[in-house]
Amino acid sequence: MSKHQALDTFGRSGNPVFGSKFDGDPQFKDLPASQKMTLDGTVNKTGILLLLCFITAAVSWNNPNPVLMYTGLGVGFIIALVTSFKPTVAPTTAPIYALAEGLFLGGITVMFEAAYPGIAIQAIGLTFGTLASLLVCYKTGIIKPTENFRLMIVSATAGIALLYIVNMFMTMVGGGSGIGFIHSNGLMGIGFSLFVVGIAALNLVLDFDFIEQGAEDGLPKHMEWFGAFSLMVTLVWLYLEILRLLAKLRRG
Amino acid sequence: MDFNTFFFGGLALISFAVFFYLGKFKASKAQTERDDRVDWSKRALSFKSFLIIALGVLVIFFLLS
Repeated sequence: MSKHQALDTFGRSGNPVFGSKFDGDPQFKDLPASQKMTLDGTVNKTGILLLLCFITAAVSWNNPNPVLMYTGLGVGFIIALVTSFKPTVAPTTAPIYALAEGLFLGGITVMFEAAYPGIAIQAIGLTFGTLASLLVCYKTGIIKPTENFRLMIVSATAGIALLYIVNMFMTMVGGGSGIGFIHSNGLMGIGFSLFVVGIAALNLVLDFDFIEQGAEDGLPKHMEWFGAFSLMVTLVWLYLEILRLLAKLRRG
Repeated sequence: MDFNTFFFGGLALISFAVFFYLGKFKASKAQTERDDRVDWSKRALSFKSFLIIALGVLVIFFLLS
């Protein structure tokens, strides 16, 4: 069985969002062409999700409200978990995720923009610039994701996630600022942010590879929404990390 | 419109265009026709290894800090 055909038994990926079970789906090899995942469809659906995210971000930007912001964050988190474990619901949950994250991103961006004028457009430009440049690198074969590559990215992503959880716990229990270097604008803090931005960006490469192989193997149509959703999750993470990095650089 | 908005806004717009145009094309043969592609049917790590490596990364960060 070739590695492409291995998608028949689709299971897990390196991206935390792709840790979803694909087991139990109907025999998608027999699906008609109109019901199969395509690159075109995934890109269009990513566009729809980005548009939805921008709409609610604009609402939150114009009416900054912590309740709205944290509701968006909470709903987005729950929806992301549900979608990760059950990709078949992605056509419904992915748009809700985009709307919810928009509320959060709009609010947090206003806060950063108030402290550091001009930072929002820089973060947006750099996020999409990273997306486009990595897509070019992936499509042309400059960056070739392998099993070792995936292992490295998954490990680093898991380490960062664990670090953030410990930091959150320390902040809640200790009442302080948690792990100091995460928030510092010194060499260590900026280095950490650069590392996290790098890992978030390389997660995009795994997203591209998953989508490419999914389309090659003709997965069911709902996986277009799942692929778009996973790209959105990575983009939201990348945007937030770039925002934090730029803020640290300005403070420094 | 200041230079910051012009430059980064332009970068975002161009990147959007690149994503929506290039994203619809298949990847090059250099990417798709190789033997060491990621096998998405397998987990990257078992849960145990995942936990060990994640803790390892965490410890490294703590030591560095």
